Amino acid sequence: VSDCVSDIRNTVGNVPMEWYRDFPHIGYNLDGKKIYKPIRNKDELDDFLDKMDNPDYWRTVPDKQTGSDVVLSDEQVQLVNRLQRGQFGDANFNEYEPQVEFFSRDVMLHPVTNRPADKRSFIPSLIEKEKVSKLVHAIKMGWIKPRRVEDDSRGRYYDLWANEDSSILARHKMHLPAPKIPLPGHQESYNPPPEYLFTDEERALWEQQDPCDRKLPFVPRKFSSLRQVPAFSRFIHERFERCLDLYLCPRQRKMRVNVNPEDLIPKLPKPKDLQPFPTTQSLVYRGHSGLVRSISVSPSGQWLASGSDDGSVRFWEVCSSRCLKTVQVGGAVKSVAWNPNPSVCLLAVALDSVVLILSPSLADRQVVLSSERLLSAPQEADANEGAGPVTWSETEGEELNHGIRLKIQHPKAVQQVSWHAKGDYVASVMPDHSSNLQVLIHQLSRRRSQNPFRKNKGLVQCVSFHPVRPYFFVGTQRSVRIYNLVKQEMTKKLQANSKWISSMAVHPGGDHVICGSYDCRLSWFDLDLSTKPYKMLRHHKKAVRGVAYHRLYPLFASASDDGTVIVCHGTVYNDLLQNPLIVPVKVLRGHEITHDLGVLDVTFHPTQPWVFSSGADATIRLFT
Amino acid sequence: MSQLQARFFTEDKRYIVDDVPFSIPAGSEVQDLSNVINKLLEANNASHSKVEFDFLVRGQFLRTSLSIHMDTEGISTEEVVELEYVERITAPEPEECMMHDDWISSVDADAEWILTGSYDKTARIWSVEGKAVMTVAGHTDVVKDVAWVKRDGLTSLLLTASLDQTLLLWEWNSERNKLKARHCCRGHTGSVDAVATDPTGSKFCSGSWDKMLKIWSAVPTDEADEVEEPADRPRKKQKTQQLGLTRTPLMTLSGHNEAVSSVLWCDSEEVCSASWDHTIRVWDVETGGMKTALTGSKVFNCISYSPLCRRLASGSTDRHIRLWDPRTKDGSLVLLSLTSHTGWVTAVKWAPSHEHQLVSGSLDNLVKLWDTRSCKAPLYDLAAHEDKVFCVDWTESGLMLSGGADNKLYSYRYSACQTDAGA
Repeated sequence: VSDCVSDIRNTVGNVPMEWYRDFPHIGYNLDGKKIYKPIRNKDELDDFLDKMDNPDYWRTVPDKQTGSDVVLSDEQVQLVNRLQRGQFGDANFNEYEPQVEFFSRDVMLHPVTNRPADKRSFIPSLIEKEKVSKLVHAIKMGWIKPRRVEDDSRGRYYDLWANEDSSILARHKMHLPAPKIPLPGHQESYNPPPEYLFTDEERALWEQQDPCDRKLPFVPRKFSSLRQVPAFSRFIHERFERCLDLYLCPRQRKMRVNVNPEDLIPKLPKPKDLQPFPTTQSLVYRGHSGLVRSISVSPSGQWLASGSDDGSVRFWEVCSSRCLKTVQVGGAVKSVAWNPNPSVCLLAVALDSVVLILSPSLADRQVVLSSERLLSAPQEADANEGAGPVTWSETEGEELNHGIRLKIQHPKAVQQVSWHAKGDYVASVMPDHSSNLQVLIHQLSRRRSQNPFRKNKGLVQCVSFHPVRPYFFVGTQRSVRIYNLVKQEMTKKLQANSKWISSMAVHPGGDHVICGSYDCRLSWFDLDLSTKPYKMLRHHKKAVRGVAYHRLYPLFASASDDGTVIVCHGTVYNDLLQNPLIVPVKVLRGHEITHDLGVLDVTFHPTQPWVFSSGADATIRLFT
Repeated sequence: MSQLQARFFTEDKRYIVDDVPFSIPAGSEVQDLSNVINKLLEANNASHSKVEFDFLVRGQFLRTSLSIHMDTEGISTEEVVELEYVERITAPEPEECMMHDDWISSVDADAEWILTGSYDKTARIWSVEGKAVMTVAGHTDVVKDVAWVKRDGLTSLLLTASLDQTLLLWEWNSERNKLKARHCCRGHTGSVDAVATDPTGSKFCSGSWDKMLKIWSAVPTDEADEVEEPADRPRKKQKTQQLGLTRTPLMTLSGHNEAVSSVLWCDSEEVCSASWDHTIRVWDVETGGMKTALTGSKVFNCISYSPLCRRLASGSTDRHIRLWDPRTKDGSLVLLSLTSHTGWVTAVKWAPSHEHQLVSGSLDNLVKLWDTRSCKAPLYDLAAHEDKVFCVDWTESGLMLSGGADNKLYSYRYSACQTDAGA
């Protein structure tokens, strides 16, 4: 069949064969003769049978140009299959030939193209600049407007809790997170280290204990693996208790105030800014052989008098620490006081039951003469002289040569002497529990003594005259009483808040008093402020023995048995509203503690910021 | 170790080296530099014997290594350092120790004789060799200050000031060793703590605890001045066994608020006084008025004036020696503080022949020799005394004297460096 088909050549070309549908022929062969259509006498049934019978039916296709059936060969079928799969028609063509890498990321020694980069790649583009400047111009002219922010006023968002009750909100704010359960420790482990496991005794103890006393609410147990751990039988119970705890236990927010401890300290000026004050030991006055109970500086500041337990009064030159004069008075000297009046030169000395008035003749001849005149005033022929408790007597012979002028014999041991600022009156103290005869005021010019107090108001420790006004300060064991000598009445009673007052000093202005006490305190009284201490200073470790004010500088000092002298700055103001400024400025050491006694007396130089201290080590020291 | 460029120069003709910069290690100390100079001098002059030198950098003595010194003084190490060198001041050699019976309060010495005042109420005259020549007794109280007035051949006039409020003018013949009290100067009402004679020897000035300065005539006469008797004489006539004729002051200078502790004459018309009221005052003797006041902050114990450098040196109770310019107008400018003492400075004295050196005595038992070009540390500490030092002196002949509370007057021979005269 195929031979005859190959002979038939249709020469009509590539034209639609429908054109020949109504003709008996379908074209023309090479000779120009009509090619007739094969006789199609097969109907559907034949076709079906053919499909069933002919095994090559599936590869038989009609040839449209000749109208005859062509059976495709195996090669042709394969070709059709390949084309249908989208493969190349040629079976021998390898489409996966290895590719030759012409272009790679590696920079080659010889590049494929060696063209330099364009100039435009590294200069700003003029076109872009033009575009940007156009945009800028448009923005400037207002042609382009920035994107409008979408306003939220239409209420897309709103406060969900705006209508909520404020108390509920406050509770939200005050929400306190529940305390966390402590993290499980080694005991809770299913495989705890052996030291956490209970021994038999511990277990017995645990079982004996009341459930609320137990340290652990469970017994640690050991399992070989997690799989072995049984279900926790008390889980529900424990959760419930936890919830109960959280529900029932009230919780409170603790307000913690953050305070800087530095802010609690009051602002005080630096000691450096409060100079001058004594800082270093300059001179030591050696010569006494017993403890030096009392010292006093002459009003001119040239001489220092000291009284000691060795029974002598010594006079020292301040600037050279030279002892110029020694007066043996025959008894432990309790107190010495230099007459504050610069026109006389007298020293009162208290020892045993005698007050001696010494004229050391260490001053100008005129001054010595005037003091002699004061002492040798005509004695009043008092009628009650014999009845008085005190006998005045002039000294003679040896004692007179030593400068002892007057002897005032007291009935009891005298502890302290104190001069009035004018220098005519001297007060002496005889501490006694049971008598009203504790303080005596002597008048030198008239050689008269009087007892100002009728009643015993307590053990008198020290007395002092007011520097300018007619007041008299009496320091008893617990308080300081201030008497008006003109009106003869008590004006004030200062409560010292201490057990036992040892010493007292009156400010040169007269409105302030400091008291030292045996219970280590120093109290400053502002007489205009209150009868209670304005300030208590507890800087000393042991009993305070002596206190002193400086006459000119705002300084005061206290001497104590701990062997130190503490110098404090104390400015007082004329303004009544302003409280005194008290700043401790210096601790002066130097005295050795002997027989548990340290510094016994302290006094300031009248004109320089220097302080003298006398101690139980038989020395007097000058600090400048 | 870094190197420095240094140029050495000196005023001393004997030790001049070439004026060229040398490169020296920055860590050099004085000894190293001294060795360098000695090497250079040996190279120039084979017969040179080794001399110790001290070095000055911009007028300050070198005491540490050069780099540290320049660091603290803020001198650049980049430039050539000018190093001046002077022959090292040799330590004063102790010579004599003159024992007294009591504390020595004051000393005044000249080329031949030493005069000391003592707390045993006497003054003593010693020869320079340390031989006691004469005891001047007459005061009834401690002698606080002494001074030579003048010497005419064998007769000398001397002054003693005492706590008994008088001054005594004595005439002493050194050949016959005869002493005569010529005048008793009365007028002070406090202890007379300081006395000074003017350069001509015709007047003297005294300062007292009664805050006054008094000018007296130092010329001995044979007439007593009239003394107005106090109106009310004491009942019993005081035994007026008086030494010499009474003399009253020519002039009283008042102005100090506290005791006068030291006086001196700057020149024949000017008196300078130091006081416990924290001031130094300069007075005009002609008019009796105060010229200037230098205000300090502490009590002044002593002053000394050097006509060479026209500076006042003051010793005060706060351990410092301060230098002042008495001619300054604004008053209270301290030029320099010398601090090394640990107690009150009780005595200062300028070197009579050297404008930079002074000697000071203090309550810390030390006498110190200072150079103002080395204000941090003294040149030498003379630790001979066992107690407080009260007085120092320095004579023209190079003898330094110090006395104190250990009753001893020490003298030190000080080889005055003539080389420093122009330094």
